[in-house]
Amino acid sequence: MRRALRWLMAACVAIATTSAALAADLRPLVQTMGSGGYSGTEKALNQLSDAGDPAAVPVIEALQAGDLYVRKADGLVVIARKVGAGYALTDPLSGAALGEAAAGAIDRIKVNNAMRRAISAALGALTLMSPDPAVRRSAADAVFKSRDANALDALNTALAKEKDERIRRAMEQARAAVILTAGASDADTQAAVATLAGRGDRDALALLSMIAASGASDTAKTAAAAAVATVEQKLMFWGALQNLWYGLSLGSVLLLAAIGLAVTFGVMGVINMAHGEMVMIGAYTTFLVQQGLRTYAPGLTDLSVLLALPAAFLVSGGVGVIIERSVIRWLYGRPLETLLATWGLSLVLQQAVRSLFGPTNREVSAPSWMSGAFELGGLTITYGRLWIVVFAFAVFAALLVALKRTWFGLSIRAVTQNRPMANAMGIRTARVDALTFGLGSGIAGLAGVALSQIDNVSPNLGQSYIIDSFMVVVFGGVGNLWGTLVGALALGSLNKFLEPYAGAVLGKILVLIFIILFIQRRPRGLFALKGRAVEA
Amino acid sequence: MSAEDTLLYLDGVSVSFDGFRALNNLSLTMMPGEMRAIIGPNGAGKTTMMDVITGKTRPDHGTILFEGETDLTKLREASIANLGIGRKFQRPTVFEPHSVWDNLELALKAPRSPLKTLTYAISREDRARIEDILDITRLSPKRDRLAGSLSHGEKQWLEIGMLLAQDPKLLLVDEPVAGMTDAETEQTARLLCDIAGKHSVIVVEHDMSFVRALGVKVTVLAEGSVLAEGSLDSVSANQQVIDVYLGR
Amino acid sequence: MLTRFFLMGLDRKAGLVLTVLALLAVLVPVMTLIVPEGSPWHVSIFTVSLLGKYLCFALLALALDLVWGYVGILSLGHAAFFALGGYAMGMYLMRQIGPRGVYGNPILPDFMVFLNWKELPWYWLGFDHFWFAAIMVLVVPGALAFAFGWFAFRSRVTGVYLSIITQALTFALLLAFFRNDMGFGGNNGLTDFKEILGYDIQAPGTRVGLFLATIAALALSYMIASGIIASKLGKVLVAVRDTESRVRFLGYNTESYKLFAWTLSACMAGVAGALYVPQVGIINPSEFAPASSIEAVIWVAVGGRGTLAGAILGAVLVNFGKSYFTGALPEFWLFALGGLFVLVTLFLPKGLLGLWAQLTARLPNAKGPNAKGKNAPNGNTADQKGM
Repeated sequence: MRRALRWLMAACVAIATTSAALAADLRPLVQTMGSGGYSGTEKALNQLSDAGDPAAVPVIEALQAGDLYVRKADGLVVIARKVGAGYALTDPLSGAALGEAAAGAIDRIKVNNAMRRAISAALGALTLMSPDPAVRRSAADAVFKSRDANALDALNTALAKEKDERIRRAMEQARAAVILTAGASDADTQAAVATLAGRGDRDALALLSMIAASGASDTAKTAAAAAVATVEQKLMFWGALQNLWYGLSLGSVLLLAAIGLAVTFGVMGVINMAHGEMVMIGAYTTFLVQQGLRTYAPGLTDLSVLLALPAAFLVSGGVGVIIERSVIRWLYGRPLETLLATWGLSLVLQQAVRSLFGPTNREVSAPSWMSGAFELGGLTITYGRLWIVVFAFAVFAALLVALKRTWFGLSIRAVTQNRPMANAMGIRTARVDALTFGLGSGIAGLAGVALSQIDNVSPNLGQSYIIDSFMVVVFGGVGNLWGTLVGALALGSLNKFLEPYAGAVLGKILVLIFIILFIQRRPRGLFALKGRAVEA
Repeated sequence: MSAEDTLLYLDGVSVSFDGFRALNNLSLTMMPGEMRAIIGPNGAGKTTMMDVITGKTRPDHGTILFEGETDLTKLREASIANLGIGRKFQRPTVFEPHSVWDNLELALKAPRSPLKTLTYAISREDRARIEDILDITRLSPKRDRLAGSLSHGEKQWLEIGMLLAQDPKLLLVDEPVAGMTDAETEQTARLLCDIAGKHSVIVVEHDMSFVRALGVKVTVLAEGSVLAEGSLDSVSANQQVIDVYLGR
Repeated sequence: MLTRFFLMGLDRKAGLVLTVLALLAVLVPVMTLIVPEGSPWHVSIFTVSLLGKYLCFALLALALDLVWGYVGILSLGHAAFFALGGYAMGMYLMRQIGPRGVYGNPILPDFMVFLNWKELPWYWLGFDHFWFAAIMVLVVPGALAFAFGWFAFRSRVTGVYLSIITQALTFALLLAFFRNDMGFGGNNGLTDFKEILGYDIQAPGTRVGLFLATIAALALSYMIASGIIASKLGKVLVAVRDTESRVRFLGYNTESYKLFAWTLSACMAGVAGALYVPQVGIINPSEFAPASSIEAVIWVAVGGRGTLAGAILGAVLVNFGKSYFTGALPEFWLFALGGLFVLVTLFLPKGLLGLWAQLTARLPNAKGPNAKGKNAPNGNTADQKGM
């Protein structure tokens, strides 16, 4: 770490010295700008531009803005900006302050219209040929936006030298934009439209549709109109894909919230209205783990989310076991009373957390590996969301394996299918009940860890998920984990596809109405168990 | 046999649950006034057969006609019951929070719409009818007891009484003597034989002595279809029946 | 026939309830309007409105008990019907403000002026008439309940599933009424009422009048409900609660029975909401919150599910407790309410009245609970199977 810092400092020093050295070479050129009238200034300008040193950029910018002056006393070329009655002088290359001067003590270097073009071109050329790739890139983007015909030469020059593929593309697009605006031969126009269609984003679409409406030539118009159609199609495709991603992302959040419920409600038939509070407890556990690490092991803070996973599973699972042993076991076979009792528990848990941690939101910060985003084609994907999707599927898979492949899962299934028989076979049913409920609650705790990254950690966190979770489980079909998966993803996508048309709230309302109607059609959900047992 | 003269006509009825065929191409006919005993091993489809007749389960294939014309597969439970098909469940199902009298009053043949029941006032004839049934089922002394407080046998009888109050054309009786003492079984057999004079009855029963006491035509079901049909003696002699059911 | 219907429901318990209500109807106005303010017997206007609010909740609880206690439908969305009735009344009260609003627009309520609306939406038309609003108080919740129930009962959605989709229903309405463009005042709801039927809504006389109207509505609803329960219809309903399929095989169309009770119950809840709004002076979307519906369920559970008197008792007791605790120990209230849910379901499944019935039944000279089945569907027989 320290070594890296030292290296970085050394690099900075190196850059500073090289630019100082270059600046020294430019100084005589800058000095000549003040002499020889228009032609002298223009000559100096061209030489500055040809030198290809970005250090000259502030000088040319000052010239463009009319801030470049000659100090009468010694003929030094300076940048002067009005301060009070006089002017503050700075060195054009180094930016060092050179004191103040009265208005009469300096002469402005004048610029005529012919020179203005040269100035723009010089600026474009200098930034387009800057050694820093980021500067070249933003210069190309700037030209794309301004579509200034003066930049065309500079662009061509820069393109001839450019090696970086992505910057080349940006420059080509900028060039295409300039050509389309200014007008060119048919072949060039066609090529430019093709380049822009290849870019295919909203900016390209805006430009193309502008050209299609009022282009420089008819060829440009027709070509642009055709390109608009393809770009629109492409945008729609990526838009749909983006929606799908949002849907997947929301779906995986729903899946996380609902999957624990699929165990307690789906497998055990227990209506746990305090399920949301188990999620909330998981989120607060994450908060506590992070606080603890910040205090005692600041170096590990980035790992707090990972360490919070087992902690949240154990804490929420433990609370679940306590709830099962103290309340729920007395209410088996009375689902509606279980619903009421667990609702009461949810109120108690909420208030308890509110009393302990206060009613306000708690900050859980994202680790570095979960922040940021990357682009995939036309998609923008944030790492946080990506990890949550991965995590949701991982939890789902782990649960599936636990239920199908382990002895514990076998006992759970045995107890739910035939309690007396399981008992007779020596399975301690009471213990299996408690552990199953604990498992469901623990998974809710895991969901809490994930949700702490994207939602406010407050006592009401669970409340906002409980109805959605029940909708997912009921929609997918009770007692069927795959149903929960499909239900979560389907409802998530439906929500996100409705959102652009109906808005977030109305979209949600429509989804709720859809579920209500769906339950009427198929009271047992998407993947209903069929058979006599269901009727009973 | 044509469907027209029959009271109940099942032809090629099949039902399956998750791949398990509960009824497999079952065909059966009942004449008006007939009494029939249905026997068969567990899982033979006896209860499912009652379910499809009463509309609880929809068959996948097949025809079920009542009185030769009404297609039962299209109707819901309540409509089928109102056509005149009454059912007694395997486990006695009575309205436990209501008194014996109220149970019979609810079953009594009368208009079934909510507004009619809201304004219902018991008539002299209805009262007499309930008294009759109380006598027949020997529940007269317990008329004000809550049905939930009755013994198992009494509940069975109350449910049969409710069937009588319904006055259906066809009675489906599922294991009426399960859990009864011998004396009660005998009384029940006599009661059913009395009823059979005026109604058609299908009795599903395991108890062979009870079936023998009924002395009626017997249908043996196995794996969802009819294995044999005839008098108890003739089906008892059937080798297939012995193999799948009696012999074990 | 109507008298016979009401008489049928009149047993000892009903007599007691109606007597208490009649006493309140006489005593409260006297103690508020006639007894001078300094006297220890004086009841303040604030208390009258508070009592009126409790009685509105009691009416909601009564409506809920009718479907939960007697038909076994646990509605987690009854507050939606309450709120819809309340909004219908609130719309009438908004129209009565006339040009006295902040913006002085004679037609548009303030929030519409604020949102730059130019004219009254069509669904606000007619609400300047009291009779129209009064009909809507019944029709809107009733129609919603009928449509919802028609689908749900026909598809045989029962038990927990039904409870969950009633909750989804009220949640959807909550979200909808939060939207400004629904035209019901969005977040803030409807408030700043001035007059009802031409009387100043703040005046003591009006307040007492509203209180009396609430008592009348509660008493009438109680008589209707107990009349229904005592009728053969009521017996069918209880039978549906416990063994629905058996009732079907007797030839009853159980869907229409459930629909009848469900719709009636929603109408009662609507009336409760309509009486609530002028007494508290505001209606906003939070009334639709799923939590308020579930809270109403606990009132019924505390008093005694399946006893109409218990529902009323529970609503008044729990809300009294809520008023007390939220004032004195605000932190404690949610613990108390949550604990109540747990304790009542675990230890008092038949509520306070059920406990009372058990205690009195142990006394040697207590009357047998089943004198000719009349009060059969009461607390002492409420069975767990319907849950």
